[in-house]
Amino acid sequence: MAAKTLAAPPAGLVRKTKRPRFGWWSRYRRNKLAVFGLGWVVLFFIIGVIGPWIAPHNYAYTNFLAANQPPSWQYPFGTDSVGHDMLSEILWSVQNALEIALGATFISFLVGAALGLWAGLKGGIADQIVMRLVDFMYAFPTYFLDLILVTTFGRGLAPIMFAIGITGWAGYARLIRGLTLRLREGEMVEAARALGSTQRHIMIAYLWPNVRNSMLVALAFGIPGDLTVMAGLSVVGMGLRPPLPSFGNMIAQAGTNVLGFPWLLYFPAGIFAITLLSFLFVAEGLQEALDPKGGR
Amino acid sequence: MNLALFIGKRLLTILITVVAILAISFIMMRFAPGGFFNSATIASGLGTLALQNPHLYQEYLQMFEKQYGLNQPLWRQTLTYVWHSLTFNFGTSFENPSVPIITQLKTALPISALLAGGSIVLALLIGIPLGVIAAVKRNTWIDSVLTTLSMTGQAIPSYVLGVIAVLLFGVWISGILPVNGWGTPADAVLPIVCLSAGNIGVITRYMRSSLVEGLRQEYIRTAEAKGIRYWHIIWRHGIRNSLTALITVVGPTFAFTVVGTVWVENIFSIPGLGTLLANAFTSDDIPLAITSVYILSLMVMLMNLIVDITYSLLDPRVKLR
Repeated sequence: MAAKTLAAPPAGLVRKTKRPRFGWWSRYRRNKLAVFGLGWVVLFFIIGVIGPWIAPHNYAYTNFLAANQPPSWQYPFGTDSVGHDMLSEILWSVQNALEIALGATFISFLVGAALGLWAGLKGGIADQIVMRLVDFMYAFPTYFLDLILVTTFGRGLAPIMFAIGITGWAGYARLIRGLTLRLREGEMVEAARALGSTQRHIMIAYLWPNVRNSMLVALAFGIPGDLTVMAGLSVVGMGLRPPLPSFGNMIAQAGTNVLGFPWLLYFPAGIFAITLLSFLFVAEGLQEALDPKGGR
Repeated sequence: MNLALFIGKRLLTILITVVAILAISFIMMRFAPGGFFNSATIASGLGTLALQNPHLYQEYLQMFEKQYGLNQPLWRQTLTYVWHSLTFNFGTSFENPSVPIITQLKTALPISALLAGGSIVLALLIGIPLGVIAAVKRNTWIDSVLTTLSMTGQAIPSYVLGVIAVLLFGVWISGILPVNGWGTPADAVLPIVCLSAGNIGVITRYMRSSLVEGLRQEYIRTAEAKGIRYWHIIWRHGIRNSLTALITVVGPTFAFTVVGTVWVENIFSIPGLGTLLANAFTSDDIPLAITSVYILSLMVMLMNLIVDITYSLLDPRVKLR
């Protein structure tokens, strides 16, 4: 009975202050570029989902009678050398780009998290091995590994996603190892343990909130990087195999045709550049708002 | 640890890395669809010759098997290949068998090295002053313009800048700078500028944050109290301190710079290693593909080694590991 009276203090003693919501949105909102970026990214995601339905033509629909047309009401973004409607190509490309970028970032994150946790928790030789690998992956141009992987496994959506994902984990591994090391022996965890918290409670109440924001920021930085690599594969002719539309293919194609048909460049390159910038602005904004201490 | 031991250790690491890269590339490429170093594909490639002239067919088959060591076990082939590559004995490419790979490299490598090196120098020349300006004028509109610009430079990859430059200088204001090919010094201008944009962004942002941090230190206030001129303080106590650590920022950008070289060469049709690499990969020219990946990676690793040595020489506080 005594415990019960302790658990329920007199009503007057309970402070009814409103717990401050994280307040991240009010901090985020201050950065105008980040707000613009978020708008564009949301639009990009929406188009990624509905793009194929609202596209006026199929991406593979060739119409030689309408080849190399400048932008018009019928073809707002013009057509390419075999009569593909550029607007439709772009609407389909958004989906491919998002699938590969999100998938690759997710794979990288999983591999990085697994290795980082292993290194951080085990320490010793495991830590040594992982950190050596991380150093190597940092210094080595992993893009070349992507090229070799794509040559071996093909140029479809899944192989490219896998190739970019499996080579891009070094940053996540380093981040998660660092967080694990910092938190594992931290005073906060020690105090919680001394108070008798269970392992589960420590994870949920103490570790996760501390790790969540840093991870979110790292993921936000990862997506534009993966988009860049994905389109970069197309620049050397090893990206998504045509006729699958992708920003990289369109930009590479525009590079060879820009002297005669510059509209082939305006829309794909413009939209791709704005997209990369928007993702980066969002990432910067998130970092400012969520993780003010964590510099990169 | 002394310098010689450090260099020896690092060279050993590079050697191990290179062997790993070569072995992995070789084995993966061998199992790539289409098959390359593979008796069965060669036999099918020779095709009707088997019926027309069985004797010649057998002779060809044996020649190729001998040339690529195809009748040996895989590990043996891999070791042979790795050893040949390490001793710069690359053999010939599939696409251009009359010219040994080493000859192709000798013309292509200097071009890529010039582009990569030139872009890093340009990035330092532009990035450091911009970073200093942003730090000195911090929290003004100049600062925010510079910060946004450097973010833009970091975000937009060199191939997008490349095609925009082709459009700009090839269509809109044509005739000032060439946008295609290689031969005159003017040909190098646009590729190097496009390539350096990302590094300019990195360096500007680093210099800004490092200098802003540095100018908060006590010794800066001491210097101000002593009445030393403002720019003198900035130079002696601010910039010089930031410059040594700048090297640690430049090092990690090498990998990306070299990849950027590959992209830019393809956009501007420059006959460097990047174009060689792209042609090799798209035409399934496996010996040339692996070799160009190997040489480009080696370039990155050696550049990193040089950076680490320079850093330790410049900053006596740095301990070599």
